[in-house]
Amino acid sequence: MQTSVTPDAISAVLSNPSFDSSSSDRSEIVVQVVDLKPIGNRYTFSANDGKTRVKAMFTASLTPEIISGKIQNLGLIRLLDFTVNDISGKSTKYFLVTKCESVASALDSEINLEGKIEDEAGAAKRQKLDHSPMSDVVSTGITLKPKQEFVAKSASQIITEQRGNAAPAARMSMTRRVHPLVSLNPYQGSWTIKVRVTNKGVMRNYRNARGEGCVFNVELTDEEVRKLIQATMFNDAARKFYGRFQLGKNDYEMTLNENSEVEEASDEEMFVPETIFNFVPIEELGMYVNQKELIDLIGVVQSVSPTMSIRRRTDNEMIPKRDITLADESKKTVVVSLWNNLATGIGQELLDMADKSPVIAIKSLKVGDFQGVSLSTISGSNVVINPESPEAKKLKSWYDSEGKETSMSSIGSGMSPSAKNGSWSMYADRVPLSQITSNPSLGEDKPVFFSTRGYISFIKPDQTMWYQGCKTCNKKVTEAMDSGYWCESCQKKDGECRLRYIMVVKVSDSTGEAWFSSFNDEAEKIIGCSADELNKLRSEGGEVNEFQTKLKEATWSSHLFRTSVTQNEYNGEKRQRITVKAVAPVDFAAESRLLLQDISKKNTSASH
Amino acid sequence: MDTSSPSAFVNGSLMRRYIGQKVRTVIQVVGSDVGSVVGKSTDDLQIIVKGSPPTTTTPSTYLEVIGIAENENSIRAEVWTNFGNSFDPVNYNELCKLANGEFKHLFI
Repeated sequence: MQTSVTPDAISAVLSNPSFDSSSSDRSEIVVQVVDLKPIGNRYTFSANDGKTRVKAMFTASLTPEIISGKIQNLGLIRLLDFTVNDISGKSTKYFLVTKCESVASALDSEINLEGKIEDEAGAAKRQKLDHSPMSDVVSTGITLKPKQEFVAKSASQIITEQRGNAAPAARMSMTRRVHPLVSLNPYQGSWTIKVRVTNKGVMRNYRNARGEGCVFNVELTDEEVRKLIQATMFNDAARKFYGRFQLGKNDYEMTLNENSEVEEASDEEMFVPETIFNFVPIEELGMYVNQKELIDLIGVVQSVSPTMSIRRRTDNEMIPKRDITLADESKKTVVVSLWNNLATGIGQELLDMADKSPVIAIKSLKVGDFQGVSLSTISGSNVVINPESPEAKKLKSWYDSEGKETSMSSIGSGMSPSAKNGSWSMYADRVPLSQITSNPSLGEDKPVFFSTRGYISFIKPDQTMWYQGCKTCNKKVTEAMDSGYWCESCQKKDGECRLRYIMVVKVSDSTGEAWFSSFNDEAEKIIGCSADELNKLRSEGGEVNEFQTKLKEATWSSHLFRTSVTQNEYNGEKRQRITVKAVAPVDFAAESRLLLQDISKKNTSASH
Repeated sequence: MDTSSPSAFVNGSLMRRYIGQKVRTVIQVVGSDVGSVVGKSTDDLQIIVKGSPPTTTTPSTYLEVIGIAENENSIRAEVWTNFGNSFDPVNYNELCKLANGEFKHLFI
């Protein structure tokens, strides 16, 4: 059995346009799995044959083998069945592995067979800090062929060079000519590349036979040909440069010679980093609720909340959270919770620019069911404000032209309502009135929500129908000595106030009757005019009592009500209180359907 | 309420039970001719209604027709009522089935 990779296998496959994975030679391809990482429920990696790397992905059916540890990062696998596919829209290819077998478990490092430098020296370079001087300045890890996507560079090289182990060739670095990634080769003395950090991994600590260390990977994208370099930095290099690399911000010049430094480049043109987003329109989020798959979203920021502190159940630690509401062309909105650094960092930025309605794109969001549909960031989530992409442009122009004015509904409000917030569906929890009134213990601990259809059967004309409300905050105002009204909560006086309804109405249906309490917005729909207008009618005298007419017109009108039922204590007695949360006109076709359903239900359970 | 001349709720397939008797049904207008209207019943069968509708009937309008069932797919209309364009034929169809089935005793 092969105990190492099959060199050149990858380039052979890639250069053969009629490669057929069912042919016999492919059974001999052994590659090393590098950079194994999960995307949703599938794993992506780079297949390394010692000379070439190619992006690859395991099908979801192989995920269990990865989770169980049969397939390991840095381990060797024999590719039994795979296809070569195009990355959508680009000329680069990737391997989709449908079947493979593990040949070896995780090796110490990435295999590298390239260049004239011997293996052990190569291996030693990757692991240790104290190397012997290198004459070849550039690490053997870099092999650049036009089709290649990933190139690993062992940047412990940087440290070696920095220790002043100058080789004659290194002096060429003085020219500091910037090279496109494609032209880099191991035999060039030194080179400077200009890159943008497109992804930055976390610093990992490791321990192997040779000792301990820390490492992190960073993906760098080059402007001209958009090729990627992956730099792996160990130990000192890692510690030194980890902080320097900032995701997506500026261009970096990376000069790899004995004076290797990472510097920020100045004022060059920005280009779009190649993070691949796969956006889901808000209205389609429903099918992702509580699934393991993470989604990407792009939307216009409608509102940003202040930072909240949430206690994490697992360790009682307080972590910051911020909720933002996003809208998109599906005319739906959704709330995204930003956690930890995203809440405090980018979240604050968004708060400051919220009035400009920025577009944001977020990668890797978890979809939950709080309030129907809720999105949350995870540690791997990536947020980009106003990305320079065609989707962002399209979204922004839609919002500016029509989206701004459109009234949109929350995607969650159509979903299964939770008892806690009682989403205002008129068809969920439908009951006849008798079911509410016959059960006095309803709403004992917390409010219960129902929908019901009934007629307004009576409105008491001589009840207190309204209160004097503050025009700004709607709270009750008191009459000031010298005319006008004083609002305690706004701490200001206004010459006028606004009357707001607070009334009880009797509602009846075929099963019984009950008193419903209603506040301003709902009462306005029932009465058909505002409290101020009704008050005007009331104070008008004359032959025709318009006030009574208005009440009469409202009586015996039928409506759909969303109600909450609670218990109040009144003179030592427990009383049921039914409050109208929403009113809607009766949709006769929908109600007929409900009746037909009820009839058929009764038929199946009735015994004649 | 005048119950001297009851009409049975029918759809296309129930008409045959009431030939020569007074029926009522709702059709969706498909086309019209001189002196008759061709419509689709709530169970998707073709019904011909003889007579003249109140206004020029446009296709896709719903009309309620009360009259004598001449045969299993035509009615001689006495009363026409325009039910407009948004009418749920499925509900009506279920009503016809219930009214002629287990709840017949509730209907005249």
